[in-house]
Amino acid sequence: MREGAFSKHLTRFFMYAFLIVVSFISVFPLYWAFISSCNSTQQILGGRMIPSTYLIQNLQNLFAQQDVLNAMKNSFATTLLQTVLALAVSSIAGYGFEIYHDKLKDGVMAILMLAMMVPFVAVLVPLFQLFSKMNLLNTWVGFFLPSLATPFLIMYFRNSARTFPKDTIEAARIDGLGEFQIFLRMFVPMMKPTYAAAATITFMNAWNSYLWPKVIIQNSSATTMPMLVANLMGGYVIDYGVVMAGVTICSLPTVIIFFCLQKSFTNAVAGAVK
Amino acid sequence: MKKFVSLMLALALALSLCGMASAAEDGKITIWTWDPTFNVAAMKVAKEMYEKDHPDVEIVIEEVLSEDIETRVITAASAGDISNLPDIMLCQDNSIQKFVANYPEVYADITGKYDFTDFAEGKLAYSVVDGKNYGVPFDAGTVVATYRTDYLEEAGYTIADLTDIDWDRFIEIGKDVKAKTGRPMLSGQAGAIDTVLIMMQSCGSSMFNEDGSVNFVNNESCRKVLEYYKTMVQEGVFIEVNTWDEYCGTLSNASVVGTINGCWILGTIMSVEDQSGLWGLTNMPAMPGVEGATNYSNNGGSSWVFTNGTDLDLALDFMQMYRNVDFYNEILPSTSAIGTWAPAKEGSNYTAGNAFYNDEPIFATIVEYTAHVPAVTTGAYYYDAREALGTALTNYINGGDLDSELQTAEDTINFAMGF
Amino acid sequence: MTNATPTAKKKRFWTMERKQSAAGWAFLLPATLLICIFSFWPMFQAFLTSFKRGLPTALTYSDPLWRNYQFMLKDKVFIQSVTNTFTYLIIQVPIMLVLAIIFASLLNNRDLKFRGLFRTCIFLPCATGLVAYSMIFRTLFTYDGMINALLLKIGVISEAINWLNDPVYAKAVIIIGLIWRWTGYNMVFYLSAMQGIEYSIYEAARIDGANQVQQLFKITIPLLKPIILVTAIMSTNGTLQLFDESVNLTRGGPANTTITMSHYIYNTMFTKNPNFGYAAAMSFVILIMVAILAAIQMKVGDKR
Repeated sequence: MREGAFSKHLTRFFMYAFLIVVSFISVFPLYWAFISSCNSTQQILGGRMIPSTYLIQNLQNLFAQQDVLNAMKNSFATTLLQTVLALAVSSIAGYGFEIYHDKLKDGVMAILMLAMMVPFVAVLVPLFQLFSKMNLLNTWVGFFLPSLATPFLIMYFRNSARTFPKDTIEAARIDGLGEFQIFLRMFVPMMKPTYAAAATITFMNAWNSYLWPKVIIQNSSATTMPMLVANLMGGYVIDYGVVMAGVTICSLPTVIIFFCLQKSFTNAVAGAVK
Repeated sequence: MKKFVSLMLALALALSLCGMASAAEDGKITIWTWDPTFNVAAMKVAKEMYEKDHPDVEIVIEEVLSEDIETRVITAASAGDISNLPDIMLCQDNSIQKFVANYPEVYADITGKYDFTDFAEGKLAYSVVDGKNYGVPFDAGTVVATYRTDYLEEAGYTIADLTDIDWDRFIEIGKDVKAKTGRPMLSGQAGAIDTVLIMMQSCGSSMFNEDGSVNFVNNESCRKVLEYYKTMVQEGVFIEVNTWDEYCGTLSNASVVGTINGCWILGTIMSVEDQSGLWGLTNMPAMPGVEGATNYSNNGGSSWVFTNGTDLDLALDFMQMYRNVDFYNEILPSTSAIGTWAPAKEGSNYTAGNAFYNDEPIFATIVEYTAHVPAVTTGAYYYDAREALGTALTNYINGGDLDSELQTAEDTINFAMGF
Repeated sequence: MTNATPTAKKKRFWTMERKQSAAGWAFLLPATLLICIFSFWPMFQAFLTSFKRGLPTALTYSDPLWRNYQFMLKDKVFIQSVTNTFTYLIIQVPIMLVLAIIFASLLNNRDLKFRGLFRTCIFLPCATGLVAYSMIFRTLFTYDGMINALLLKIGVISEAINWLNDPVYAKAVIIIGLIWRWTGYNMVFYLSAMQGIEYSIYEAARIDGANQVQQLFKITIPLLKPIILVTAIMSTNGTLQLFDESVNLTRGGPANTTITMSHYIYNTMFTKNPNFGYAAAMSFVILIMVAILAAIQMKVGDKR
C-alpha cells in the first residue's frame, strides 16, 4: 500500500514535470516575441532573450507607422461576425446531417467534404470574379461569406452530434416540440463544449485569415491585424522590435478568447460528477 | 439564438452597405506603395509638393505590400475587372517584364508621354518591354561595397585597397582579413542568389539571351561567377546564412567585415547608430578575365507603373516630381532613397557629407556609380530562372557537377517555357 | 402528387418520417447552398482552367486537353514536392494526433492543478503569429543556434548540424514545427469531446483496477472515435495543403528538398511566370489525393 502511494506520487511528479516542459516549449516563441518587443532590432538579431527598455519606443513607432486601433476594430468586427454566423450555419447543418441521416444525406456530406480539398489559391481567381460580379469587393460581407459554411465545421458538429441521445429527441417530439425547437432548446445547450471548442477554433482561423482578406479588401482603412503585421515586414529596412510588438498584440486576442472559452469545453466533467 | 443570429445578419448587411468605393475619379490620384519609411515617405513628399501648386488635385497614398499589389493585379486582371486598381502602383524592377507580358491590359504604355532623358540607362531597361516604356524609375538598386574600416585596419588594409579591384585580389585580401580578424568579408542567404546575380550583372551578363531564351550552359560569365562564389564560400571569405534576418544580424552584430548589395542596404547599416564612423564605401570587385567586366552592378529597386483607363495625363503630370532636383534632395535625408535621375546628384543633400560615413558624400558617389551599371535582360521568366539557378548553386556547392547542374537549370526553364 | 390531392391524402403524405426528412433537408440547405456557390462553383471554374494554357487573361483549351496533367509527370520539382508532402504527412500526423490525445487525457484529469493554465499554454502555439514562430524556429535551428548547443552539450550529437541547409534535417525542422503548432489545436477537439464521456465510467474502471493507460485505450479512444476521425481527416487535408512552414521556415530549400505541393502551386501562380492552367491541374491532383485518403479514413472510422 505504501509502495503504491509512493509510485502514485512519482507518477504525479513526472506528469507535472512533463506538462511543465511541454508548456515551456509551447509558450517559448510567444514569450520570445514579447521579450523582443522590449528590445531593439540590434538586440533581437543578436539573440538577446531577456527584455530591455525599448518597449515604449517600439510601441510608439508601431502606433506612429500604422493605425493599430483601426486594424484591431476591423479584425474584431469581421472575426466576431464570422464566428457567430459560421457556428450558426454549420451547427444547424451538422445537426441535420447526423440526426436525420440517411444514405442520401451521407452522400451529400461526402460531396461537401470535397470543398475543402482544393488549395485555396486555385479558387482565388474564380472566387474573386464571383465577388466582383456580386459587387461585394471592399465589403465585410465579402470578407467572411466564403468561410461561413466550412465542411470541417459541419463535420465536426455532425460527428459531435453522434453523442447526442436519440431518446431525448423522441421525448421532445412527444412533448410536441418542433424540429427546430428541439435543435435550439435541447441540442444547443447540451452541446456547449462543442460550441465553445468550435468558437475558439473558428475565431482563431478567422483572426489569422490573410490571403482572401487582402484580395477582397483593397482599402487601407479596412486593414486587419495580420495585414498590418505583414506591412511591417515589407520594406528594405525591417525594425524587428516594432514587428515583434505588432506580433504580440496580434496574438493576444486569440489567447484571451481561448483562456475564457476553455472553461466551457472542459467544465462539464466537474458538472457530471456533481 | 434565432433572434441573435438574425440581428447579427442584419448588422452584417448594414455594415456591408458602408463598404467603401475606391474607383479613380476626376482630380484624384490613388497610389499603392509599400514601405512607410521609404517609398511611402517619398510619395508623401511628392504629394505635398504637388498639391501646393495644384490645390484642386487630391492624392491618396495607400500602403499596400509589394506582394499584395501583385496578388491584387493578378486577381483583378484575371477576373477582368481592373476598375479597383489605383492610378499609380510601385512595381519591383525584376517583376515589370513578367507583369506587362502577362497582364498587358492592366499597364499603360507611356512611351512618348514622359521625358526619360537623364534616367540611368541600366535602370530604365527594367521597365521597357518591346521597346515601349511602362514605368517611371524610382529608387536605385546600385550596388555598393561597404566595409568596416576598423576591421580592415586591424588586418592592415584601407578602403582604397578594395577600390577598383578584381575578385582574385578580393579573395586574397579576404583570406588575409579572415586570418587576422577571424571575420569573413561577406555574408549572404544560402540559396538566394543575390550575390551571384550581382556578380553576373557587373559582367554585363544576364540569365537570358536577347531573344528571351535562357542562357546558363553557354554563359561563360555565369560559370565563372559560380566558381568564384563557391571558392569564397569554401575559403570562408563568404559566409552563407539561412535567412534574411540572419543576414541583417551579421551586419548589425559585426560578425562580418562588410557586404556587397544594393545601396538600399545602407538603411539597415545606418540604423545601428553606435557604428557611426566605422564604415567605408566603395565599388565592388570586377570579374577578372571577362571582357566588359565592370565594378558596377544593380540589385533590387523599383519603378512606378500606371493603370490603363485612369487619368494618365494627370498621373504623369504629377510624376514630373520625379524629374525635380528639389524633390530628390528633399526625400534623401529622411528616406535615404536615391533616385536614378542623374541631375539629382546636384542637390545639396547629395553633395553634402554623410555623418555616418565619416562625412564622405556617399550619395553623390552612388549616383555616379549608377551611370556605369550595365543593362541586363530580365524577361518574364526572371523568377523561374532565379530559382533554377539557386537550386543549381546549392547543389554545386554541395559537390554537384557544374556542367550538369547548369544543364538541369536550363532544362527546368525550357520546361516552364514549353507549356 | 400532381393528381387530385384530397386533404386526407395530403395529411398521409406528411408522415412523421417525411416531415423529419424534410426538416433534415431544411437544416442542411443554407450550408449546402453556401458551399455550392462559394466553393463548388469556383472549383468547377478552376477545373476548367486545369485544361487550359496561355496568358492568364487569355486562356484557351490545350491540345490535348490533359496536357497540363501530362506535364506533371515530367516535372521533377512537382514530383519532389509530392514526395516531400507525403513524407510530412506520414511522419507528422500520427505523432501529432497521439500527442494531442495524451495531452487531452492528462489535462482532463480533474485532480490536476493549474489545468486551465496548462491547456492555454499548449494551445498557444497555433495562436502565435506566424512571423514570430518562423523567426524563432529559424533562429533556434541555425548552425550556432540553441538547439545545436543543447544537443552538443548533452552529447546527442558530436558535431553541429546545419539544420536548415540539409535536405533531411530541414524536413525534420518542418515536421517539428508542424507538431509544435498543431498539437494543441487538435487537443481542443479531444478535450471538448471528453466532456461527453460520463466520469463515472472512469471511476468504475478505476475500481476494477484499470490504470491510466488502460483507461485511455479501453474507454477514451473508442468513445472519441468520431472526433478522432474528424481530426485525422482535417490533419491529412491540412498537411497535403501545407504552405506556411515550407514558405516561412525553409523557403522550400535547400534546392527544393522541402518544398510542398501548395508552395509549388503558389509559386507557379504568383512568383514565377504565371501558369494558371498548370496550377489548377496540380490543385486537382491534391484534391484527388486528399479525397482518396479521406475516403479510406471514413471507411475505417465512420461507422455508427
